Amino acid sequence: MSQPLLKIDDLYHRWKGPRPPILDGVDLSLGEGEVTWVGGRNGAGKTTLLRLAAGILLPQRGSVHIGELSSHARGTYQRKIGFLSAGDRGLQARMRVRQQLDYWARLAYVDRKLRPQIVELNLERFGLVEFADRRVDRMSMGQRQRIRLALAFLHEPEVILLDEPRNSLDDEGYALLAAQSERAAARGATILWCSPRGEDRVIECDASYSLEEGKLVPV
Amino acid sequence: MRLWLDAMWGIMRRDAILFISYRTQFVSQVLGPLFSLVVFYYISKLLTSNTLQSPGGYFGYVVIGLAIVQILTISLGVMPMTIRQELVSGTIERFLVSAHGPVNGIFGTMLFPLVNALFSGTLLLVFAAVIFGLPLAATAVLAIPVALLGTFAFMPFALILVSMVIAFKQVSSASQFIVTAVAIVGGLYFPIALLPGWIEWAAEVQPFTPATDLLRHLLVDTPLEHSAALDLGKLVAFTVVLFPVAIACLRTSIRYGQRTGTIAEY
Repeated sequence: MSQPLLKIDDLYHRWKGPRPPILDGVDLSLGEGEVTWVGGRNGAGKTTLLRLAAGILLPQRGSVHIGELSSHARGTYQRKIGFLSAGDRGLQARMRVRQQLDYWARLAYVDRKLRPQIVELNLERFGLVEFADRRVDRMSMGQRQRIRLALAFLHEPEVILLDEPRNSLDDEGYALLAAQSERAAARGATILWCSPRGEDRVIECDASYSLEEGKLVPV
Repeated sequence: MRLWLDAMWGIMRRDAILFISYRTQFVSQVLGPLFSLVVFYYISKLLTSNTLQSPGGYFGYVVIGLAIVQILTISLGVMPMTIRQELVSGTIERFLVSAHGPVNGIFGTMLFPLVNALFSGTLLLVFAAVIFGLPLAATAVLAIPVALLGTFAFMPFALILVSMVIAFKQVSSASQFIVTAVAIVGGLYFPIALLPGWIEWAAEVQPFTPATDLLRHLLVDTPLEHSAALDLGKLVAFTVVLFPVAIACLRTSIRYGQRTGTIAEY
């Protein structure tokens, strides 16, 4: 394996209440340009793992690093992350698609001069050009998922974390996602893709794991 | 800095787009103060008091209180509701995974409601002057910087409420309680001198009383309770002391939510 880009060490997380830890000593190293799939039953801890890797949650024990950068290093760390949450949340329902992408580009600190160009490029990459001036709440679930994916890839992050990215996508949407994942991996980004079913059979993965009882088991 | 400003502008623009997309919201925001003015205009006709010493009578006195209540209701009431809405819709997660970050993001989310609140308060004064003939003082223009300073002094209260939303998820009754309490002890509807002696101290330990006092003086020429320098000093002091406390509360509530996982709950 190449030099690890995303490194997860001894990650532990336990939700409140009399429950066993959802993650219990998870170790994972992902190199540049690698695509890794993590599966597991519902509630196995895939979303928690991704939220910890994205810096949304902070580790109760263990650490997450991108290169030398810890997930505690707010801002700098987040510039390197592209994150897609599971479900259909996180969009401003009454904004238009182009406005939505521009808004995110600003939050992601995309350079002012490059912003319009990057927004248009990602509208194109995710097949959103014809809907660019449509309000988000007037779009189908699959179209919304394309917008959410465009937000995850837009700022060319080094680490892309995808939680159930195929949700609601049609064949064309999935082909666009696969193409953009390949393109991102080719430029050296690492992709961590989580979903309950065996998507390692439909995307080309460098490694596949299953989360079982808080631990990662190679598949 | 430029990227930070771009992001802040982006958040304000987003909130303006969302606000405008609900057209009736704007209409009700214009009509609401107008109805309040009508009610208090006729109530003021019934009242004669020497306690007020306001050239505009009780109407002149209460209009400034109404404008401040308008600002408080929007800034203290709308802000926690907006953040609660962001938690429910998952859009706060965008701040958490962005370079701009949650503290800046939440701070940015306060800007449009504050601008809107100031606009709304100004509109109320314009209605009072144009429709109801309230005589505005020649110093009225000086009220603009004082209103801005007052708004900065109020912001920490909104930030603390937002911290509570992040920690406890629901504080709508707390914000209503604060607005009502401020209206009573801040002298918004009636002079503080009418309050029982044991509660009058409350008028001195928050920034709303000096802000109200100064704005009344500048807008309708009501005599000041204390010197202008003292009132301004209090506003600056409250801002300087409360802002870092409010930011610390916000950071702590976010950190706590990130550590326990409750940041993703709603």
